[in-house]
Amino acid sequence: MNFQGKDIISMNDLTREEIDHILAKVDQVRNLPEKGRLCAGKVCAMMFFEPSTRTRTSFEVAMRNLGGEVGGFYDRKITSAEKDESLWDTVKMHDGYGFNVIVIRHPLKGAARLAAEAAEIPVINAGDGPNQHPTQTLLDLYSLQETQGRIDGLTIAMVGDLANGRTVHSMTEALLKYTDCRMIFISPRDLAMPRFLIDKCRKVGAQRNITVEEGSRIEDYISEVDVLYMTRIQVERLEERMAVVEKLRSIYRLEAGMLRNARPTMKVMHPLPRVTEIAPDVDATPHAYYFEQARNGLFVRETLLALILGAVQ
Amino acid sequence: MKERPITIAKIRNGIVIDHIPAGEALAIFQVLGLNALARETGDIIAVGVNFDSASIGRKDIIKVENLSLTLEMLNVVALIAPHATVSRIEDGEVKEKNKVTIPQEVGDIVICPDRFCITNHEEVPGKFIVIDGEPVTLKCYYCETEFFGPLIRYKERRSL
Repeated sequence: MNFQGKDIISMNDLTREEIDHILAKVDQVRNLPEKGRLCAGKVCAMMFFEPSTRTRTSFEVAMRNLGGEVGGFYDRKITSAEKDESLWDTVKMHDGYGFNVIVIRHPLKGAARLAAEAAEIPVINAGDGPNQHPTQTLLDLYSLQETQGRIDGLTIAMVGDLANGRTVHSMTEALLKYTDCRMIFISPRDLAMPRFLIDKCRKVGAQRNITVEEGSRIEDYISEVDVLYMTRIQVERLEERMAVVEKLRSIYRLEAGMLRNARPTMKVMHPLPRVTEIAPDVDATPHAYYFEQARNGLFVRETLLALILGAVQ
Repeated sequence: MKERPITIAKIRNGIVIDHIPAGEALAIFQVLGLNALARETGDIIAVGVNFDSASIGRKDIIKVENLSLTLEMLNVVALIAPHATVSRIEDGEVKEKNKVTIPQEVGDIVICPDRFCITNHEEVPGKFIVIDGEPVTLKCYYCETEFFGPLIRYKERRSL
């Protein structure tokens, strides 16, 4: 399996074998003594048309940890895009500057795919609006593997705003490539997992012994799950309904006391930023895994850069 | 049955698209860019709507006095009229008659229904993967949105 020069745009482009290959590489690259020289002399273009904290920082640190450098921009206001330059032209220009890989985040869906068509060099999608964020999904899958030793056969509850959350949609689709999983979607009815995705789970899941169910209370499932994947209620999408937001925040809040009957190996994950959905007292329990999960993002991004730049196979 | 003597005259050289479900001829006209073809070539195009059909009750029919449309170009007709037939007429004779088949991928003939799709904000020709034929379901190559039914809105092809 060779990832050199390959674009990483959507989880839909990756087979289970490819995902497993990447995940297995993470442990190797993470501890490689010569890691600091793997991408020496290579430069990564960061094209951030939209703000980002974790993704941007971890890509930067990842490139530096591999001995490479980064360039580019983090604010569309200082680019010619503000003068209406097209994405195609902006990418073409960066493509000609001698960068070795592009990392792009853009508010519009499909922007990363278009960038990959414009660029000769490989492109990594760091989020194209509400569509895909494959490095987030890969770090989530890596975190499942890391904490539970497997992905097949896990019971995973996803909690919160399942209607608007990109991470939970992507995770659900990725789990459909595995077998024997039990997925539980816990959300208020207004913010339920989209119907088409549940239908797809039932259709594809039937051949892979994957089951899905919907619930409305975290407490009903806490003792049965291997992973509780919490998400933020996306206030920016419910702006005009602050009363609803407040109500949801009080219902979909995980507190340490609720974890009493959880399995000892159960882990709480969250793509971060968290707001009120995980109480600070959960941090001190052995179940909290969200900060390690975020750190795994660094290892996964190092590995992807090393694979794509041909530094490892 | 009442006599309905209106017919479309035979053509000598060209393409006949038959067995189009009634009411769909104009959508096909748009998708194939027949306006542009007529304007640029001056060739005659006849459109018949609501003709009697033994197999589908009512049908539309299009006759194009031009041979430049290949079967590959005509296969997009299958998205709108899955049972349409395409006959190639040369010197007044039917040279070839084919059923259209749904292509696996189509180009810039549809508007992506997702308003956050890059194709609706920049000058990018659309590209769609046909993921199902029954009902016709498309997936935008760029934003990955899957859509079918009334969400499929065809674009007028403006040049050949």
